[in-house]
Amino acid sequence: MASQVIKEWVGIQQFPSATELKLLELLGKTKQEVHSASTLTVLVMGKGGVGKSSTVNSILGERAVAVSAFQSETPRPVMVSRSLAGSTFNIIDTPGLVEGGYVNDQVLDLIKRFLLNKTIDVLLYVDRLDTYRVDNLDRQIVKAITDSFGKEIWRRALVVLTHAQVSPPDGLSYDEFTSRRSEALLKIVRLGARIRKQEIKASSIPVVLVENSGRCNKNEIDEKILPNGTAWIPNLVQTMIDVVSTDSKGILVDQKLMEGPNPNNKGKVLIPFILAFQYFFVVKRIQKWIKNDIATESRPSWA
Amino acid sequence: MASIAAPGLALSVHRSHRRLTPSTATTTTAASVPSLTIKSKYPTFPPSQNPKPSSSSPRNNFDILGSKKLQNIIKTTAAIGCGLYALSNGVSNAQHSGNGGGGSSGGSGGGGGGGGGGDSFWSKIFSPAAIAGEEESQEWDSHGLPANIVVQLNKLSGFKKYKVSDIMFLDRRRGSTVGTEDSFFEMVSLRPNGVYTKAQLTKELETLATSGMFEKVDLDAKTNPDGTVGVTISFLESTWQSADRFRCINVGLMPQSKPIEMDPDMTEKEKLEYYRSQEKDYRRRIERSRPCLLPPPVQREILQMLREQGAVSARLLQKIRDRVQQWYHENGYACAQVVNFGNLNTKEVVCEVVEGDITQMVVQFQDKLGNVCEGNTQYPVVRRELPRQLRQGQVFNIEAGKQALRNINSLALFSNIEVNPRPDEKNEGGIIVEIKLKELEQKSAEVSTEWSIVPGRGGRPTLASIQPGGTVSFEHRNLKGLNRSILGSVTTSNFLNPQDDLAFKLEYVHPYLDGVYNSRNRTLKASCFNSRKLSPVFTGGPGVDEVPPIWVDRAGLKANITENFTRQSKFTYGLVMEEITTRDESSHISSRGQRVLPSGGISADGPPTTLSETGIDRMAFLQANITRDNTKFINGTIVGERNVFQVDQGLGIGSKFPFFNRHQLTMTRFVQLKQVEEGVGKAPPPVLVLHGHYGGCVGDLPSYDAFTLGGPYSVRGYNMGEIGAARNILELAAEMRIPVRNTHVYAFAEHGNDLGSSKDVKGNPTEVYRRMGHGSSYGVGVKLGLVRAEYAVDHNSGTGAIFFRFGERF
Repeated sequence: MASQVIKEWVGIQQFPSATELKLLELLGKTKQEVHSASTLTVLVMGKGGVGKSSTVNSILGERAVAVSAFQSETPRPVMVSRSLAGSTFNIIDTPGLVEGGYVNDQVLDLIKRFLLNKTIDVLLYVDRLDTYRVDNLDRQIVKAITDSFGKEIWRRALVVLTHAQVSPPDGLSYDEFTSRRSEALLKIVRLGARIRKQEIKASSIPVVLVENSGRCNKNEIDEKILPNGTAWIPNLVQTMIDVVSTDSKGILVDQKLMEGPNPNNKGKVLIPFILAFQYFFVVKRIQKWIKNDIATESRPSWA
Repeated sequence: MASIAAPGLALSVHRSHRRLTPSTATTTTAASVPSLTIKSKYPTFPPSQNPKPSSSSPRNNFDILGSKKLQNIIKTTAAIGCGLYALSNGVSNAQHSGNGGGGSSGGSGGGGGGGGGGDSFWSKIFSPAAIAGEEESQEWDSHGLPANIVVQLNKLSGFKKYKVSDIMFLDRRRGSTVGTEDSFFEMVSLRPNGVYTKAQLTKELETLATSGMFEKVDLDAKTNPDGTVGVTISFLESTWQSADRFRCINVGLMPQSKPIEMDPDMTEKEKLEYYRSQEKDYRRRIERSRPCLLPPPVQREILQMLREQGAVSARLLQKIRDRVQQWYHENGYACAQVVNFGNLNTKEVVCEVVEGDITQMVVQFQDKLGNVCEGNTQYPVVRRELPRQLRQGQVFNIEAGKQALRNINSLALFSNIEVNPRPDEKNEGGIIVEIKLKELEQKSAEVSTEWSIVPGRGGRPTLASIQPGGTVSFEHRNLKGLNRSILGSVTTSNFLNPQDDLAFKLEYVHPYLDGVYNSRNRTLKASCFNSRKLSPVFTGGPGVDEVPPIWVDRAGLKANITENFTRQSKFTYGLVMEEITTRDESSHISSRGQRVLPSGGISADGPPTTLSETGIDRMAFLQANITRDNTKFINGTIVGERNVFQVDQGLGIGSKFPFFNRHQLTMTRFVQLKQVEEGVGKAPPPVLVLHGHYGGCVGDLPSYDAFTLGGPYSVRGYNMGEIGAARNILELAAEMRIPVRNTHVYAFAEHGNDLGSSKDVKGNPTEVYRRMGHGSSYGVGVKLGLVRAEYAVDHNSGTGAIFFRFGERF
């Protein structure tokens, strides 16, 4: 993939001029602020069919990856790289993590190996806004991601809720609905990522709403807007840039991260103490029992 | 009974006969220290040489021994059976009469007093004598006298063999005949329909007269019309003053008191003097005697008998004798005999017992023909197996003898073992324990072959698929006579291509590491081995079709020292150096497990199989294992507790410098739920088995050393490793065993858990092969001989299956 010739980001011109300007401004700012960020790599993950690929396409402003409404069109991870003014913008689309009600470890493994030796700057965790409930499966997905890339990845994560153009259930305002939904999801994320309460404030995960549909409402300057009136593409990019500009580092996926910490080295230092414990408290104890057995052994009458 | 000869006509033998101590004369009231000799010679059981249908307690003993031996000592059964019981006094007696020919059943063959040393028990073994008696019964002579007349014994012809049609006992005091169940009846060796000469009848009478049981005894014959004679023995039972004390003493190895002939011309004063000195002598004898083993409860029981009875009669003494001997024999003191009752006519009854003190212990080696020879085995090797109760100075006990037999047998050095007590001729009342051993061949070599037909191309056997396989082994036992041995074996299923599965083993065993005289029992074992096993780590979980198998080959050296604390509890520690090679199905070294991709392809990037990730590991580690086992069998069911702790401590020597501490603790308790009476044929108790097994490892853990869950010895109802392979595991099991007829049925529940440590095994094989990491099962089963048939439900998938397994789970 790396050898692939990086295309110019032509899709950016597809956006309404306001959006385009905003994006250019943001990316330029990033380049100044984050010195190393000549590349920005975004990983998109989530359940199947929630609109990961669509979101990728929306951000890039072109049909970079195939999208299908009814079946998974992404059998393997795909990285789309676009360059703009000397900096590279990578976005990695991945297959859905869920298959048959379980987290598909093989897909996860595939993703991990695809990401080997790449640095992830931003993780987009994608889910739908218009599902009302969160369940254990969500937690498992979050957990699988955490187990694969470490807890640190959530410092660089965005929760993206697609299908944002919904009419909320009766009696709820749109803002109220979205905040409730995102709160529920964040709770699960925190649980799955094992983020402790003290850490919640330090690493609050931003939530961004997205509407990929072509029927998305637009404002007067032709920007795609959400029911609450925000133009979401600049908003998403803005949030991404915000996350990158925090002091946390991107996640470099190397062999070590993939395999986790070497369990063979855990506790090695303690072995001499364990051995001593075993000798004095287990072997000695059993020897004492044996002595006791011999003493209390029922002897035949003649002995 | 009217035909009984008039008193005075029959030959009567008075008590003041040679063998009786003169003071036995109960008629003379002056006799202050009378004593009654029931038996002067050892061994004595109720005298009767003929086979008797009624079984006495020693015979029961015999049966018990017989069956036990079948279980424990199969090899040596027959020999031991005789050996243990060949109390050779019995032998000589019986053989004597047998060879003598004339001595029909040898009723009095033993000679006066000695009264047929044999009894039901001995004669069962040495039946030749009895058979001889029966054969002779074919020929007998008619009395040749008119019918229905009473003939005195001395009037009978010395040349005729009389057939005795019946025997009657007539108690003159009571004036009635005595039933066959009376204890006196046992004293006579004559049997109805036996054929006896006059000499034999005379001897019989003499025996009775000298027994001291009777004040007066006569024997006469009544002629029958058919030429046979009916024998009537009329007697007056001896009685003494009542007593209220009982004392039992061990007079073994003490010289028999020698009576000084009483001069009939003694004056009254002299007589008094004489009795006084006798009394003093006897008191001294009691003082010098050792206390006997008879426990107080039995003594009290006898005292009770004495008190109830009032006057001490011969019958009572017989009863006491029987009770005392019964206790001894029931407790295994097979050589113990009541030899005398002393101090009669005083307030105290003194029971003199020869308990059978061991004066000598002899170990004897025999060659194949049974001749005594020089043995290769060193004496202390045998000696240390003998219980202390078989040493010189102890009282011989048959149980100790059996124990010795078992212990020596467990050495596996001898083809035939006999433990044989025999009386010490030089030391009256003493026993010499003879241990006769036949040694096994020191060197042995064995080749066994087998041909196997394996499916060839297309499933049909072809010529090339017929494989010659087999084992070549050699053994050199008992090096230097110290039970050291070298053993080697090579096994392959295909001699034409042995590199495929050659299994070899070379072992050296060196017992008595601390010296053969040291009671510390440590054994050094060094071996060189290889093995090949299918790794349960690379096994699929439920629903996973097939995981390409990984074979783990181990080859190496091992040296360890085992210290035995008891028969079952021991401590082993040593060093293991081994090379582990992991191979795939086609015997190629594989460094990683394979896995089947969803697309159906196989990728070889599964979990690493070895620590070095090359497929070959070398390592050295220390291994220690302590086993505490106090289980025992109650009516065939195991009860007790077993704890095993094992540690493998890596030393950092080997590929990738493996440093680890791998430990496991197993605790098993067999809880007896009901007290039951122990004994052959009694029902075993219901037992609850509780089992826990913890395994853990800190440090380097190659996959082949990971703990696996599932399988017949882990969590039943699953395949080997079906639940997972982890760094730390915990297994819990409970089983309830209920005896049913000769076997038992059981219900169990088991659980295995990886404690979340599956991910701590490199490559996480549990997850890669889609296993749960934990699982439970429950089921029921029945034990059929060695096979367990059980129905187990695997809780993960909820399905049940029937399994047949060999051996025990715990």
